Amino acid sequence: MAIKKFWVIAYRDLIRNRRRTILTLVAVALGMMILIMMSGLIAGMVAGGLRDNIRLNTGHLQLRDDTYEIEKLSLLSRDLLQDSDSLISKAEALSEVQSAAPVLWASGVLSTVRESTGLAVTGIDPADDFHAPVRDGIVAGKYLKADDRGQILIGKRLADDMDIIVGQRVSLAMGGADGQVDEGIFTVTGLFNTGIINYDQNTVIMPLAQAQTFSNSGNRASSIIVMLKDQEDTAKVAAALQAPGIQVLTWEDLNAILLTLMETAGAFYYVLYIIVILVVAVLIANTLLMSVFERTRELGILASLGMKGRQIMLMVLFEAVILALLGVAAGLVLGATVVAYLARVGISFSADAMGSIEGMALGSKMYPAFAPGDAITLSLLMFFIVSLVSIYPAWYAARMEPVKALHAL
Amino acid sequence: MSVIELENATKIYSIGEVETRALDGVSLTIEEGEFTTIVGPSGSGKTTMLQLMGVLDQPNSGIVKINGQDVTKFKANKRADLRREMIGFIFQFFALVPVLNAYENVELPLLLNNVKPAERKERVMTLLEAVGLSDRIKHRPDQLSGGQQQRVAIARALSTDPLLVLADEPTANLDTENGQQAMEIMERLNKDTGTAFVFATHDPRVVSFARRVVEMQDGKIINNGTVL
Repeated sequence: MAIKKFWVIAYRDLIRNRRRTILTLVAVALGMMILIMMSGLIAGMVAGGLRDNIRLNTGHLQLRDDTYEIEKLSLLSRDLLQDSDSLISKAEALSEVQSAAPVLWASGVLSTVRESTGLAVTGIDPADDFHAPVRDGIVAGKYLKADDRGQILIGKRLADDMDIIVGQRVSLAMGGADGQVDEGIFTVTGLFNTGIINYDQNTVIMPLAQAQTFSNSGNRASSIIVMLKDQEDTAKVAAALQAPGIQVLTWEDLNAILLTLMETAGAFYYVLYIIVILVVAVLIANTLLMSVFERTRELGILASLGMKGRQIMLMVLFEAVILALLGVAAGLVLGATVVAYLARVGISFSADAMGSIEGMALGSKMYPAFAPGDAITLSLLMFFIVSLVSIYPAWYAARMEPVKALHAL
Repeated sequence: MSVIELENATKIYSIGEVETRALDGVSLTIEEGEFTTIVGPSGSGKTTMLQLMGVLDQPNSGIVKINGQDVTKFKANKRADLRREMIGFIFQFFALVPVLNAYENVELPLLLNNVKPAERKERVMTLLEAVGLSDRIKHRPDQLSGGQQQRVAIARALSTDPLLVLADEPTANLDTENGQQAMEIMERLNKDTGTAFVFATHDPRVVSFARRVVEMQDGKIINNGTVL
């Protein structure tokens, strides 16, 4: 019975000093909003980074020869897919598959008269939709055609670093399937900017047929990159594409390092979350402590009426609970609204921040994503820590000697 | 029957290295239904004695008995129980809970005692009527005059039907009319309910109502008074 009245007293005590209560609520709400926004940014960054990497590099699934090791970029015929066409047909026959694109990877050295740099050479089927980010990211010159010969695309960043312009002829040395290094002169037909720094700085792209010819790889491919209509179907399609001598790698296998990095970053961000929560919690504790000091006399009166220490403690804690609940709810709504808006319009990053320039196909914008799981965890964490820290002012109020408290009269 | 017994109670306050003997071996018995005033100059120990009687504080030595039970060594929670069930307080500064209205202030001790709603309502209304405030039940303390606030405090002190009401300078902040009115109400309620009232005061108006006057000086009782 008395508990209900404690809630009433706690609530009225809060509205008694409206300005202080509102300021405290604003602080809690802002703290919560920051948390929700941080979590939204991180969720967006993780999802966006992963999405970009899947879209540009790894696809949802890759089919490779059992013996192929990506670190070696081997062109030995035993490490390459012998019959990529039948694997592509098999993949494309599945309704869940959007595209299946063969690629040939090799390491190479690109040289101008002034300098050389080591990089990855990728042979692609230019018509395949998987390479749309490169096609859409052309900022100078033109995209490739499947039957182009002697023509390559390089990243805008690489071109800037090496002072290469469209139409310039450059030398490209590449190891072949026979173990011999062959060198050829190629014309840079276009510059691309995908927005992924590493890719734009270290990749040379040429038509698959030309790469196969140049490396003496016949019609073999390093990998078939499979894009799915729905990422959720990864396991199902992976199972369907299993075949002897073929390794089927999922996007999780292919992005293991990225996922681990993101997980580690996530743990670090939780430390930041806790710091924000503690700042808010200390603020509330301070507000309550001030309120307790101001009400010393009243607390003495309540004690004289026979209210026990734990009841006084509960009453002060109720104030913290009301502040925390209202503040967390307001912050949650505000944060979710801001994240929802940013998720729609995206956040544009400056060229410096992204390390790139105009015309990027990917990575130019970051789209935060509201993470309901994180929002619930953070709300509970905020509520729990604020309540926990508020135990101190509540305990302080509870242990006041009635006589001393009444002397504040 | 004795409501309160102080036996050789001593209370010493220490501030730094200075010790003040606020009560010096005081013995006093308050019987059921008494209407007693403790008088004496400032610093004579009146308020300290009231605090020991109200188990708000504990003596350094001596014994405090309430209703025949030795409560001297009671822990804080048990003392809170005793106050809630047996003792009502009236303070100089009215001491109402500012966020509660008149009704709720009187109701609070009953809530703490888990009295049922119907009984609670009847009790609160009877008391507010008895102090002439049945038309002010929704008013918060800041909407009441000093005299009205003190009348609410009187009603609250009696809400749990205590054995004893302790009033520390209850008329000190009231004008003559309101002081007189408050004393008349308490005298009437004392007679109607049988609850003992003990006042600590300088106010001759209060003394004039008393049926027993205890005089104190320098922490000692110099005149134990006689119940009239």
